[in-house]
Amino acid sequence: MSKNREPKKYMNPYLGGVLLGLVLIVAFWVSGRGLGASGAVKSVVVAGVETVAPQHAQNAVYYKQHSEDSLKSWLVFEMLGVLVGGFLSGAIAGRLKFSVEKGPHVSGKIRLIAATVGGIFFGLGSQLGRGCTSGSALTGMAVLSLGGFVTMAAIFGTAFALAYFARKLWL
Amino acid sequence: MGPLVANEIISPDTNLFLAFLIGIGFGFVLESNGFSSSRRLAGMFYGYDTTVLKVFFTAAITGMLGLLFMSLFGWIDLSLIYINPTYLWSAIGGGVIMGVGFILGGYCPGTSFCAASIGKLDALAFIGGIFLGVLLFTEAYPLWENFFNAKYLGSPLLSSVLGLSRGVMTLLIILVALGMFWVGEWAEKRFARDDYKLNQK
Amino acid sequence: MKGRLILAAVVIPLGIIIAAVPENTTKPYKLTAEELLSEVKEGTQFMTPDAVAQLMVEKDPSLQLIDVRSSHEFEKFSLPGAINIPLENLLSAEYEDILNQDVKVNVFYSNSSNVANQAWMITRQLGYQNNYVLEGGLNYWAETIMNPQKPAATSPNEEMARYNFRQGASAALGGASVEQAAAPESKAAAVPAVKAQKKKKSVQGGC
Repeated sequence: MSKNREPKKYMNPYLGGVLLGLVLIVAFWVSGRGLGASGAVKSVVVAGVETVAPQHAQNAVYYKQHSEDSLKSWLVFEMLGVLVGGFLSGAIAGRLKFSVEKGPHVSGKIRLIAATVGGIFFGLGSQLGRGCTSGSALTGMAVLSLGGFVTMAAIFGTAFALAYFARKLWL
Repeated sequence: MGPLVANEIISPDTNLFLAFLIGIGFGFVLESNGFSSSRRLAGMFYGYDTTVLKVFFTAAITGMLGLLFMSLFGWIDLSLIYINPTYLWSAIGGGVIMGVGFILGGYCPGTSFCAASIGKLDALAFIGGIFLGVLLFTEAYPLWENFFNAKYLGSPLLSSVLGLSRGVMTLLIILVALGMFWVGEWAEKRFARDDYKLNQK
Repeated sequence: MKGRLILAAVVIPLGIIIAAVPENTTKPYKLTAEELLSEVKEGTQFMTPDAVAQLMVEKDPSLQLIDVRSSHEFEKFSLPGAINIPLENLLSAEYEDILNQDVKVNVFYSNSSNVANQAWMITRQLGYQNNYVLEGGLNYWAETIMNPQKPAATSPNEEMARYNFRQGASAALGGASVEQAAAPESKAAAVPAVKAQKKKKSVQGGC
């Protein structure tokens, strides 16, 4: 049984990169913009705060300046598509499974805490840097934007610099 | 011709529907390449799996070449494409914070959604964290408003900053990227791990 | 290993081709008379007072207001943050960096829109981009932003929202601000919480 359920191999990374680049080009050609991810979260947060605490949203600076962000935004629809696309690929390759993925020498609990803390950092940083790895770094690099290269270098540079200190999590 | 929406060939609502389809493509490609695995993503920083580097830069190169050739053939008007503005300090500061998040969490926002879609619970925790982080940003916005808007440079291109044409810049990046791929493949052998299998074609 | 070589075999030649061909500039450097006429007819150079006020309230760093009236008039009254380039000095070399650039959005204004429009025509003919004209000039600005007319109670919501926005903007930007460039930070608290419709330039994006 278990042999049959072995997940399929991943795609060749260079082929995958070309395909990802083609998706990016289609996005540019159709909508004049690249891919993104964290912007969808921002739209949900802004819309959520405006619904839950409208009074508060009227008084805090950020929500006033971004009141035009609504759930009906390009990135929200794109991210819904990502969930569907990821699920389809996982289903075809037999990788659908509830699990906590972690390094071999770390407990599941610590892994989940580290993931949450990492998410907080990434959420904060993506807003400060006006985009995450997809929106700012990948898309920015494809259009040769200076900001894209700067953000990419900062993300990967920092992660490399800190890799030694976080090795317990992964090695 | 392109971009279709800016030239009013398709309506804004159609654009949103196409965004959904583009998202499916994005998610499918990410997952097929194993970007739904945090160990694979983190492997980048320890050298045992440099897929991120390869996919990321191959995609960027493909995008650059594609856009320039389409512009050459008159299929797309590059002046209508969104180029993200550069606010130097916040780009660096935000990038550093994201780097910390990357090494701790093992995902970035796009890949975490992709991983959550196939049932990775650590990705779900990461997504929860992103929401908290974004909320922290919007709530405490006055704290970093000045930093956020400092050193605004417009939307410069790397090529124009270096005084090169877009084409020459692209060729240089291609050569640098191929060099990095070579280093990456060397690293995968050098830092290979017994408890981790690359498992790719 | 093999993948990398195949990739290299494809992208390096493509890269060499794209590096060798001249860049395809979809926008001509100088406009023909017909093109200029069609831009003038469509009025693409105009920015409404509401759009400008929105940028000012948001403290958008890309906005650069340029007063093309005489320096005498500029000293008597100007919009917050504006710089003065009298029309007769428009072509002097010291202002070229300000007018011919792709970082900021320049908005010319004068008392009405006549002089500002002349300034725009000249810069546009030179091929400069990112220059706009404040629609209706300071007169219309005073009418719409500084002393907005309350619409009739039966007006559509949209009009009421616009009125609310203008009222708030007026308060935030200081009804009679003779002092210029005073950062309106403390006044930002008075900004209204209205859904002002934002003018979109080309395609909005970002992550």
